[in-house]
Amino acid sequence: MIIKLSGRIDSSNAAETEAKIAEQIGAFDGEIVLDAGELEYISSAGLRVILRLKKSNASTKVINCNSEVYEIFDMTGFTEMMEISKAYRNVSVEGCEVIGEGANGIVYRTDPDTIVKVYKNPDSLEEIHNERELARKAFVMGIPTAIPYDVVRVGNLYGSVFELLSAKSFAKLINEGVDVGELAKQSVEILKTMHSTELKPGELPDKKKESLKWVGFTSKQLPEEIGAKLTSLFDDIPDTNNMLHGDFHVKNIMQQNGENLLIDMDTLSMGHPIYELAAVFAAYVGFSCVNKFNAQEFLGIKKEACDKFWSYTLLYYFDGKDEDFRRSVENMAAIICYTRLTRWFMTKKDPNDEYVKSVIEFCKNYLCENVPKTDKLYF
Amino acid sequence: MQITKEKNGNALTISVSGRVDTVTAPELEKFINENIDGVTDLVLDLKEMNYTSSAGLRIILKTQKLMNKQGVMKIVNVQSDVMEVFEMTGFVDIMTIE
Repeated sequence: MIIKLSGRIDSSNAAETEAKIAEQIGAFDGEIVLDAGELEYISSAGLRVILRLKKSNASTKVINCNSEVYEIFDMTGFTEMMEISKAYRNVSVEGCEVIGEGANGIVYRTDPDTIVKVYKNPDSLEEIHNERELARKAFVMGIPTAIPYDVVRVGNLYGSVFELLSAKSFAKLINEGVDVGELAKQSVEILKTMHSTELKPGELPDKKKESLKWVGFTSKQLPEEIGAKLTSLFDDIPDTNNMLHGDFHVKNIMQQNGENLLIDMDTLSMGHPIYELAAVFAAYVGFSCVNKFNAQEFLGIKKEACDKFWSYTLLYYFDGKDEDFRRSVENMAAIICYTRLTRWFMTKKDPNDEYVKSVIEFCKNYLCENVPKTDKLYF
Repeated sequence: MQITKEKNGNALTISVSGRVDTVTAPELEKFINENIDGVTDLVLDLKEMNYTSSAGLRIILKTQKLMNKQGVMKIVNVQSDVMEVFEMTGFVDIMTIE
């Protein structure tokens, strides 16, 4: 919940301000964000109001302070006790080169090596902060990715500043003739760096929780016995806190001056690495299970290269394990992938479309045939 | 941008002054690459550095990764504008800055 503070808060109006804030909060017990954008001055009486708020709701934070107000918080030690941030820098994109446009924003190049993504929706501050927090978390934890700067104000909109990568995607490199096996090997190194990063519970969204939604839906579309087995297989996947990218494929891995970097950190989550391998399987194999041109359209590389990239990913990820072991992991990844795809196609696509029907049938057939033969979905 | 060095056994201090940006960054990278072999204690003295773009940050990051393997690195005398960049980008969380 965002609460705006304005003008001066001192002994003459602190009590009144406190009452107003309490009224706005009511029974709400989530995060309280005090927006100090229009706050000009705060005295010790005002500071005590904030202190009490912080005591009753530990997640309280103050954003958007002008430099004088920030200095007061800093001098009094408040900045060490709670999250207090300065006002956003103002950045102008006038005359800047547009280097990309997506559904939710436009990307400008503000100087030779920085970009700002300006979000079209003026109310997307929370989403921007979430995305930026994920990018920063990944960066600080040693995941090779674009350097994240701050959130800025662009006119009446918000923007997120990042390093501009002058990089080529792995998809492009494959099309330029770079060896698929070598690139797959390098991609596995990044995967392993991520997966060996352990997080604290709750630090990132929990993949297992999400996966239980997939199986909750899909198990009901299968014969009862198979659905029950599938549910228990998903339940048995261990709760681990490994960092997962969530959308790891050749278009999201970039090479710059011989260094490989990951982009698109907004799907970061945590859980057992099998979920990641299932998503990788989905990108290269699963999405094109019925129509082989899908992968090509989505990833920009030929289906043969996709298949090769996937089998090399398994080979290098499980270095030293035998073919049988890799086949068993591939089956686990496929089961998770087709469980997810069944739900996705049945809930998001036109159920009367012939292509959609054929994908759903493919997924269900795979599950019916392989779930009874599978005893676990983890390694 | 100007770069100077002071070597003392396996300890090396590199002082960078002026602006590090896309134009000057390659020179800094080359300088570090040419001097870092066998160094176990690296100090980057940024007293006279008044600006760095992400090209400069990228090189500092690369150097840090390299030093993680062969020794220690610290950054000293950071000007306040540059410090602000280190803070917003998370560099303060991953490097030793004094």
